[in-house]
Amino acid sequence: MMASESLDFVPQASGQHTLRRLLRYMLPYRRTVIFALVLLLLATATDVLQPILIKVFIDRYLIPRHFPKPAMIGLGGGYLALVVMTAGFNVAQLLLFQVLALDVIQTLRVELFDKVQTLSLAFFDRTPVGVLVSRLTNDTEAILDMFMTVLSTFVQNITVLVGILIAMFALDVRLATYCLVLLPVTVAIMLFYRKITAPVFHRARQRLSLLNAKLNESLQGMAVIQAMRQEPRLREEFGTINQAYRQARFRNTQLNALLLRPLMDGIYLLALMLILWYFGERSFAHVVNIGVLYAFVTYLSRFFEPVNSMMQRLNFFQQAMVSSERVFQILDNPDLAPQQEGDHHPVIQRGQICFEDVSFSYDGQTDVLKHISFTALPGQTVALVGHTGSGKSSTVNLLLRFYPVQRGRITIDGIDLRHFSDDELRRKIGLVLQDPFLFVGDVSSNIRLGNTWITDEQVQDAARFVQADTFIDAFDQGYHAPIGERGATLSTGQRQLLSFARTMAMNPAILVLDEATASVDTETEEAIQQALAKMRHGRTTIAIAHRLSTIQDADMILVLHHGEIVERGTHQQLLAQKGLYYNMFLLQQGSTAAP
Amino acid sequence: MQVFSDLMWFFKEHRTRYLIGVALLVVVALIALIPPKVIGIVVNELAHHTLTHRRLVYALLAILLSALASYGLRYLWRILLYGGSIQLATELRDRLYHHFTLMAPEFYHEHRIGDLMAHSTNDVQAIQETAGDGVLTLVDSITTGTVVIATMAITISWKLTAIALLPMPLMAYAVSRYGKLLHERFAVAQAAFSDINDRVQEYVSGIRVVRAFGQEAWERQQFVRLSRDVVNKNVAVARIDSLFDPTISVIVGLSYFLSIAFGADFIVHHQMNIGELTTFTLYLGELIWPMLAFGFLFNIVERGSASYERVQRLLEIAPAIQDAPHADTHVPTGDIVYDLERFTYPTQDTPALKHIHLHIRQGETLGIVGRTGSGKTTLMRLLLREFDVDQGDIRIGNRSIKMVTLDALRQCIAYAPQDDFLFSATIRENIAFARPNAALEEIEASARLAQIAHDIERFPEGYETLIGERGTTLSGGQKQRISIARALLQDAEILLLDDTLSAVDGRTEAQILEALRANRLGRTTIIATHRLRTIAHADQIIVLEDGMIVERGTHDSLWAQGGRYHDMYQRQQLEAFVEEGGATV
Repeated sequence: MMASESLDFVPQASGQHTLRRLLRYMLPYRRTVIFALVLLLLATATDVLQPILIKVFIDRYLIPRHFPKPAMIGLGGGYLALVVMTAGFNVAQLLLFQVLALDVIQTLRVELFDKVQTLSLAFFDRTPVGVLVSRLTNDTEAILDMFMTVLSTFVQNITVLVGILIAMFALDVRLATYCLVLLPVTVAIMLFYRKITAPVFHRARQRLSLLNAKLNESLQGMAVIQAMRQEPRLREEFGTINQAYRQARFRNTQLNALLLRPLMDGIYLLALMLILWYFGERSFAHVVNIGVLYAFVTYLSRFFEPVNSMMQRLNFFQQAMVSSERVFQILDNPDLAPQQEGDHHPVIQRGQICFEDVSFSYDGQTDVLKHISFTALPGQTVALVGHTGSGKSSTVNLLLRFYPVQRGRITIDGIDLRHFSDDELRRKIGLVLQDPFLFVGDVSSNIRLGNTWITDEQVQDAARFVQADTFIDAFDQGYHAPIGERGATLSTGQRQLLSFARTMAMNPAILVLDEATASVDTETEEAIQQALAKMRHGRTTIAIAHRLSTIQDADMILVLHHGEIVERGTHQQLLAQKGLYYNMFLLQQGSTAAP
Repeated sequence: MQVFSDLMWFFKEHRTRYLIGVALLVVVALIALIPPKVIGIVVNELAHHTLTHRRLVYALLAILLSALASYGLRYLWRILLYGGSIQLATELRDRLYHHFTLMAPEFYHEHRIGDLMAHSTNDVQAIQETAGDGVLTLVDSITTGTVVIATMAITISWKLTAIALLPMPLMAYAVSRYGKLLHERFAVAQAAFSDINDRVQEYVSGIRVVRAFGQEAWERQQFVRLSRDVVNKNVAVARIDSLFDPTISVIVGLSYFLSIAFGADFIVHHQMNIGELTTFTLYLGELIWPMLAFGFLFNIVERGSASYERVQRLLEIAPAIQDAPHADTHVPTGDIVYDLERFTYPTQDTPALKHIHLHIRQGETLGIVGRTGSGKTTLMRLLLREFDVDQGDIRIGNRSIKMVTLDALRQCIAYAPQDDFLFSATIRENIAFARPNAALEEIEASARLAQIAHDIERFPEGYETLIGERGTTLSGGQKQRISIARALLQDAEILLLDDTLSAVDGRTEAQILEALRANRLGRTTIIATHRLRTIAHADQIIVLEDGMIVERGTHDSLWAQGGRYHDMYQRQQLEAFVEEGGATV
């Protein structure tokens, strides 16, 4: 595997469209948004008022050297109150916006999860586990950054900027008008910076992916590299990519140094000159208020902080957009799992299964099942045998409605499979998987799964029924014994018995057995076979068998080869045919009769 | 701060860069003192109506000059210091890569590729930040801090400076306290995130069980609960995070308040003038950043030193396989002799090979058969010296393989390993991997020998077809044949095929073997395989079981023995027959 995901990804939707779609997720929270905005406005107002108080103090009291006590207490108290209020409002609005962003992401995550739940298994077959996990977690996390950036940085900073400008106008309209020039200048620099750095930033990221891909591949293929003595060449190749990345990074740094903080600091000083010049010139004709000058100088020093922080966030924003597009691609994926058709809600009672001329293809080109027809009467066991790729698993996948039936028809109790509800199918058809998948939790949670209607008693009955109770009781914590990742703490046999119990707890009418290929010791094997025999009793069973010895008592054995049923009959009948089944049986007996 | 002395080698190596960079930082800090001073002077003259045109122009010029100078110098030190940190990261990555190429397979058993990647990316990134932002913050906060405070105290008023700075320790405390809390809560939030990651991983892996048992609703409930948990833990982080800036602003506001209040008092008592007060508050503004930065510095440095330690530990691991002193650089040639008492993998307890005594004459073909885990691959890996043998010896042409250089040894061996690993490159580059300058004719000739030439010619891009993740997907058999072509192009005296024909169909396999026999006259070939018919023509066949040779001979002699080889052969014939869907009627 190569770490080249970002290289492969081609953004499709336009950035604006993606952004709009993202922002729509905030609609349900509009009350909170408005409340937070009000708080933000209050905070900004109390914040920009502070220099005005100082201005009043300087002009009205300090310069005339006149300090009436009540005014002093009022001003001083007022100033401190404003400081505290600003802080208070800010704490509240910052928290609100952050919580809001987190809530929005929670909504998006759950929506994505719900979507994933409806996707077809074919989608899961195609998509590597890591990629899907990354969509649900890392990509949504990157979008969270976007919301934090847009809300916290952009909205807030722009509000502060506007607040400062309003305060400036309140103090001196003409000077404020001059200062207004700063806005287009900074916006122009921002746009220019964005335009000029976007490709550089992109190039740096691309080279980083390349670097990582090279490193990853080299680490995986190190044995080959060493055996073929290519270490010096590969080092050189890596060195070249490394240098290319260095150059891109350096270029990035150069542009940042040229256009970010140093430039903003420079513009700040130029603006200071403007203010000084304005007051200086005026002073030759009028009396100037030192306090106003003081306030302007203060505002100016605050003007550039928001600009700086916005510019630094621009690149993260881009990354979040890439993640959003990936997430939306899944949300828009039309490849859904088969759903119930019609609203009759038929019920499975007897469990008669019928395949009528079923053909199936995963890719639309090669058929993995060709004209499969058979009937399993209620209570019968039908076994499927054949080599890997002969179509056994596909047959079962169709019966479980993991994939849609494309040609032909499958019926249960004479009713087309498509008409059953998911719930009915899942509760009445019990699947016993070849590789029992256990979840992190404890013994009983693995038997019960999420079916809260299954009582503790039923859990224990199920375990007893498949004779899993002996080893469960031997655990110190019994049914509450913890189970680690993929049940690694249990033996293969124990895992299988647990998965049997899981199926029996549902008490299904139909059993689908996918026999394990892994070998277990004879004693466990015996327990498993006994349990299976008990489970099959009274249930229609479709069994995938690898060891022919385990299905000798099946009512019918279907021998599959390249998606076709080539032989069918009971064990004795098939042996007598001396065909493929016979040879397979010989092979498994370990005898070597020549063909 | 340990990490700075750890990185001293780099700072020394780039001494001029860092000396100039730091000197520039100091100069910039000094220049930054000018504008507030100028403003203070102008304010005074405005207050006293003594400002003249000429003096205003001078004042504006002074600010303009300092603006230009500091823009240029700020740009320069950024280039120098950040450029240095990028250089450091580049050097560290090169070192790590170089180091990885020296490491024997043992190393790759002990370290997961994901971890090694993380060290080369995240850790290097953290070190880069330490060398860039870390150095900058350290120098900048110290120089700006001292220069500004000194100027305030000396040129304006030490008393007012002391008063104004009173709340500052609070700020340092708040930054470090919040920093600690943030760090802790962030770790908790990360853990919650990693929980949901694990859960989703489990869900996706077990999707068939989930679907088969109709557990969608339950899974949703779990997911919602866990992601809610992530939200809650992040809200805890946000609580601190949203306190951060407002707290700072309260402290700064307090500091301004004290300055103005006491400054006014000083002005009334003629200890100060209004211009000085203006300059003073502007200086105060310049102090906020260094104070804040100092709080963050510890964070950056902490991460950097942990990362540096991890990288250093990795770099200190010595290669498990090294050339012996005075090892022979001549490429070995001749008979291969295995004299092995036993060999055990470093991480295992039971030996992988026992009592292997083998003599393969130059030009012979040896066939190795046996079940998975019987020791076939180990036998080949030992010849390549991927691991060293301590009980026994392996010789080529009567020279112990330990006494020749690795380079010379591997020059006489061409290897087609079991996991046909191909690179994300063109087919041509893959076949020419060991000889990147080989002519296209040679590459084509190897491809023909490996019976892959026809397949390649059918691709629209031919030999320039890109393969791997981002290119054409090849079948297992095609990959194996490219891997064989790659080994053949090496044109080495010894060819090792480690089960490299397993995914190739019988007819093609026979053609490859036929081509090999003709092509490799006089050269030694070792083939390990499950499929006995692959090695039926070998000069010598050994059957391995549990790391020991249990039968040896030629096909005919082994067949005649009627032992394991005989049984296996018959079974495989029947298996092949059944696989083809055959039935005796």
